[in-house]
Amino acid sequence: MSNGVHEIEDAALLFVFGYNGADSHPIVARRIVRAKQKGATIICCDPRRIETARIADMHLQLRNGSNLALVNSLAQVIIEEGLTDDKFIEEHSSGFEEFKELVRVNYTPERVSAVTQIAPEDIRRAARLYATSGRSMILYGMGVCQFAQAVNVVKGLANLAIMTGNFGRWGVGIGPVRGQNNVQGACDMGALPNSYPGYQNVTVPEIQAKFEKAWGVKLPNKAGIALTQVPHYVLHEPEEKKIRCYYVFGEDPAQSDPDLPEVREALSKIDLVILQDIYMNKTGQYADVLLPSTGWNEHDGVFSCCDRGFQRIRKLVDPPADADVLTDWDIISRISTAMGYPMKYNNTEEIWNEVISLCPGFIGATYEKLEKYGNIQWPCRSADMSDKGTSFLHKDGKFANADGRARFSSIEWQKPTELENDEFPIILSTVREVGHYSVRTMSGNCRLLRNLEDEPGWVQMNPELCSDLGVRHGELVKVLSKRGHCIARCLPTERVKKQAVYMTYQWWIGACNELTIASLDPISNTPEYKYCACRVEKIDDQAWAEQYVLDEYVKIRESMGIDVRGNKRGEAA
Amino acid sequence: MAVKDIVSTCAYCGAGCQIKFTVDQDRNKILEAVPAPGRTNDGTLCLKGHYGWDYINDPQILTRRLKRPMIRKNGKGSPLEPVSWDEAVGYVSGRLMDIKAKWGPDSIMCTGSARGPGNEANYVMQKFARAAVGTNNVDHCARI
Repeated sequence: MSNGVHEIEDAALLFVFGYNGADSHPIVARRIVRAKQKGATIICCDPRRIETARIADMHLQLRNGSNLALVNSLAQVIIEEGLTDDKFIEEHSSGFEEFKELVRVNYTPERVSAVTQIAPEDIRRAARLYATSGRSMILYGMGVCQFAQAVNVVKGLANLAIMTGNFGRWGVGIGPVRGQNNVQGACDMGALPNSYPGYQNVTVPEIQAKFEKAWGVKLPNKAGIALTQVPHYVLHEPEEKKIRCYYVFGEDPAQSDPDLPEVREALSKIDLVILQDIYMNKTGQYADVLLPSTGWNEHDGVFSCCDRGFQRIRKLVDPPADADVLTDWDIISRISTAMGYPMKYNNTEEIWNEVISLCPGFIGATYEKLEKYGNIQWPCRSADMSDKGTSFLHKDGKFANADGRARFSSIEWQKPTELENDEFPIILSTVREVGHYSVRTMSGNCRLLRNLEDEPGWVQMNPELCSDLGVRHGELVKVLSKRGHCIARCLPTERVKKQAVYMTYQWWIGACNELTIASLDPISNTPEYKYCACRVEKIDDQAWAEQYVLDEYVKIRESMGIDVRGNKRGEAA
Repeated sequence: MAVKDIVSTCAYCGAGCQIKFTVDQDRNKILEAVPAPGRTNDGTLCLKGHYGWDYINDPQILTRRLKRPMIRKNGKGSPLEPVSWDEAVGYVSGRLMDIKAKWGPDSIMCTGSARGPGNEANYVMQKFARAAVGTNNVDHCARI
């Protein structure tokens, strides 16, 4: 995020795009509510009537997959009506003339109205509000990122902020509210195929030389592949380019990745699958090796929250007495050492000191400061105790490009990959629900949380669609796409339009990733989880379906090592 | 009873809420989690913050806790068998070196983790991929 979470409530206008804070970040969502209480205008842009829509001044209930058409049209209005911040554009940006030309004719509200399903006057009103509030902040989430056209929509949102001067001040900017607790941290640490820690590019020779010197070894200068490309590299590349080993650490691609039939085929064909985790999961069933590690609350370290904030995690308890587990960094260090590249650390602070010594933007974020201040937002460029980090980026209109200017991006809207058709006439979009997290190996193994929702999960459907299909609340239905199918419970809700249904991805039996498509954004390689074609079928024999869910649940839990016959504990291994 | 309050960061979303845990160190148990005054959470927590630590007690609901290293000694499809850490590390490093020798470092894909392990573990993993294996094939679950 370019601005801090604590600044959200001070915005004069919040433009919340494809971001459902109430389900994905309840505590961030409180800031949206507080902004409203403090008088902010809220514009919610989402195909569903999410909680934010209910308190919003405007709800732009756009058609799924029309993001960039709407964003470009908002820009068109801002330009057409002379609401741009010309001084900011002139002094701090480049590429505006080309962008103006792109949107001038093809993105008038009238032109995009059919595609977006938003009335031209609503687009105009939203654009005026955004451009004139004086302090507008954009928050976005997976409803922007999980499309085959995703990065370009982010750039489109940035265009809006640049042209109205909504960067580099308190309470403005654009905020990708990052979903997983440490997704910001994994990126910060260089768990990315194109960058070392601190966003230092692996293809830049000077940076390569710096890390070669620090690590005492020759390093590769070609960017690697993205995790979402693994199935392709296993199944469709020639022998010499295939992936032969997949070292999976703290995740479950056999549950969380799109097109699970393809993921399973790939996992079963990889020579060596290593799973390093705390709990058995779907991927573990394909693993040749399991390496058990300590869980959250059993080890020390640092997390990065969604707004670049480094904060300590602390060891609270020891792992169970009968468990022979190690910290993740110790396991990896041992393997590395056995491979002839010795790594030895005594604690996380030693590792952290190495990290920050190599990253100019993190160098001041010492454990000492994290202890003292609790939270340091990077960049923090000085070890001096007076440098407490940076709440918002791009102060004084300075951007990270070589010329210090923000760049306008001129990009046309494109349709999603797999459109509805006769056989699969409805859009499937995957979403989140508040009680469970990710693939639920943690939240589903908490007694209180698992009681909130359980298998097989729900499919959110417009009541009219339900009556067309003759299905009722709670009834089990079959959901199918070209790639696979699953069973879920029908949840009729006016929050969604008839053209699309919505499911969450953590369920085994209601596993919507059996259906999703592995169509990737060409820049981020993020899958199009928010759009594929599906259909919903009524199941006539409900007694059979209920029994099927129960039997499957028992079968899968058994395969995960749970003793399902009684309360006694499963096999200790 | 040695009861201690320890502040840590929640592991359930990117909000970075601060939690004050009360821990019974003699019994190695977490007793309670209440909100702490963090910059982002401002003294509030959601359900997962309050109750999301119970998994550590291995309540045998969905999946079992992994408690020792295991290998399918007789190849794919054979049962996973518990082994010592020395054997697991020897097996993994040996197979990785064989694959690297035969197919090159870019035939190996490593992942970081956006969840509980923390920044230091991610740093060590990407360093391992780049320096020990010799590939930039390292990525994580950012996209899901």
